[in-house]
Amino acid sequence: MDFITAQNLSFRYDTEYSQLKNDGQRMVLDDVSLNIKKGEFVAIVGHNGSGKSTLAKQFNAMLIPTSGKLFVDGIDTSDESRCYDIRRKVGLVLQNPDNQLVASIVEEDVAFGPENLGIEPSLIRERVDEALKAVDMYDFRTFAPHKLSGGQKQRVAIAGVIAMQPDCIVLDEPTAMLDPSGRNEVIKTIKRLNKESGITVVLITHFMEEAVNADKVFVMDGGKILCSGTPYEVFSQVELLKKRRLDVPVATQLCYKLRACGVDIKSLPLTNEECIALLSEVLK
Amino acid sequence: MMRDVTLGQYFPAKSVLHSMDPRAKILSLIAYIVLIFCTFNYFALLLTALSVICIVLLSAVPFRMYLKSLKVIIIVIVITSLLNLFYGSGEPIVQFWIFKITWQGINNAVFVCVRIISLIMVSSVLTFTTSPTDLTDALERLLKPLTVFHIKVHEIAMMMTIALRFVPTLLEETDKIMSAQKARGADMESGSLSKRVKALIPVLVPLFVSAFRRAYDLAVAMECRCYQGGNGRTRMKQLHIQKSDIFCMSFVLLIIIGVVLCNVFLPTVPR
Repeated sequence: MDFITAQNLSFRYDTEYSQLKNDGQRMVLDDVSLNIKKGEFVAIVGHNGSGKSTLAKQFNAMLIPTSGKLFVDGIDTSDESRCYDIRRKVGLVLQNPDNQLVASIVEEDVAFGPENLGIEPSLIRERVDEALKAVDMYDFRTFAPHKLSGGQKQRVAIAGVIAMQPDCIVLDEPTAMLDPSGRNEVIKTIKRLNKESGITVVLITHFMEEAVNADKVFVMDGGKILCSGTPYEVFSQVELLKKRRLDVPVATQLCYKLRACGVDIKSLPLTNEECIALLSEVLK
Repeated sequence: MMRDVTLGQYFPAKSVLHSMDPRAKILSLIAYIVLIFCTFNYFALLLTALSVICIVLLSAVPFRMYLKSLKVIIIVIVITSLLNLFYGSGEPIVQFWIFKITWQGINNAVFVCVRIISLIMVSSVLTFTTSPTDLTDALERLLKPLTVFHIKVHEIAMMMTIALRFVPTLLEETDKIMSAQKARGADMESGSLSKRVKALIPVLVPLFVSAFRRAYDLAVAMECRCYQGGNGRTRMKQLHIQKSDIFCMSFVLLIIIGVVLCNVFLPTVPR
């Protein structure tokens, strides 16, 4: 069953806000239709200003479509009375890990979500411990957030969301402000949550290497979905992506260029490992 | 360097007072403040002063920490004591020019001095042995009855929590902005005071802008986590009254009884 369904979703910020964002009256999201299944790992990639962060905020009813419909687990997001039901099902992790932690102790921050839901204290304790273990931050539970690294803070933010036991987490460029090792930690954590706990993951990113892990990739450009499919399907359309000045993973790009030079390469690889295997075969 | 700033004055250690329920500590502190100002003779004063010393010793916080907090207020103590000493009413013992020292004046000076010192010590005990988070938490619970008068206790406590959370973050940011401005040639260390104050403006403006941006982000993050104000909210950490709390509260009660008895059965010191 589809967990998230968008039908011809369009969105424009109201005038006050659009002046703030200097967007004028442009549609930020323009006729977007997509389906995300339960348990899927979906990546949404695109440039800055392509509407991908706005789309992320649609998924948990922070923003409501100007026209078109968005259903989350069968609930229409424009139904204001159910907006907290939707936020319970879909957790959102933002870009800056510093700005989304509320309390000055890690475990209390993770408890913030469940506390808002009015869950019983002993049960909150259980959930907090579980969530912290799931992101591998249990040993840091009594630390102050400012004593942690960026990657650790972001993992605490993820724990804060999964402590609410959502069906789906949406991550809006969670690695944009992190160093490579922090980025690795976060991506590994997300992958594990998807595989082991079966949580639906929507990862919004501009790092193509991260999108490679997904089951399905949506490429956004100018508020529209440019193309979608499995990572292989999407990243093999190198010309299309290049024309929109979007990147493809380094391995794909290398093999694409080699093929253009006349090297016999049948399918384009996505990861470095695939690329090595492919090239060593060609070089034999 | 600014990153090492400690929040409040919390001094982590293992003592009975550290493990006490913060609510019990706040209530005891209030009782003590009232008590300190309700001493009317030297026996009562001595009893409160001795019990304050007892509490200070119990806190397992090094004594120099208390001296540090006294140092800030030492001038106030000296000035008020002197004023009291020289402007007491009654028969002068010694007199020169406009100053006269009377027994009442001496009494006043001693009382004021001991009272202020005890006050500082006893409130320092609270801030040294209780973390800021525990303090706000306890305040929220203690002030809960005020919601009857439409005072938004939860919101106030939440603001305090967030403020505490962002102090180190904003300090770090100030550090960064100062470095950035220095790299652009800003001079913040030399010149007259007014010049230096003016040099701070290019630091404060970006700091404020970023603080507002952070606030917006945080509001979004809080809404994402279903924050709807205090209604229907539960807390993970529950506070329980333990043996140590009962022990300390009965200690405070004993001192109160002692002081009241002193006040009733011993003559009031003329002042």
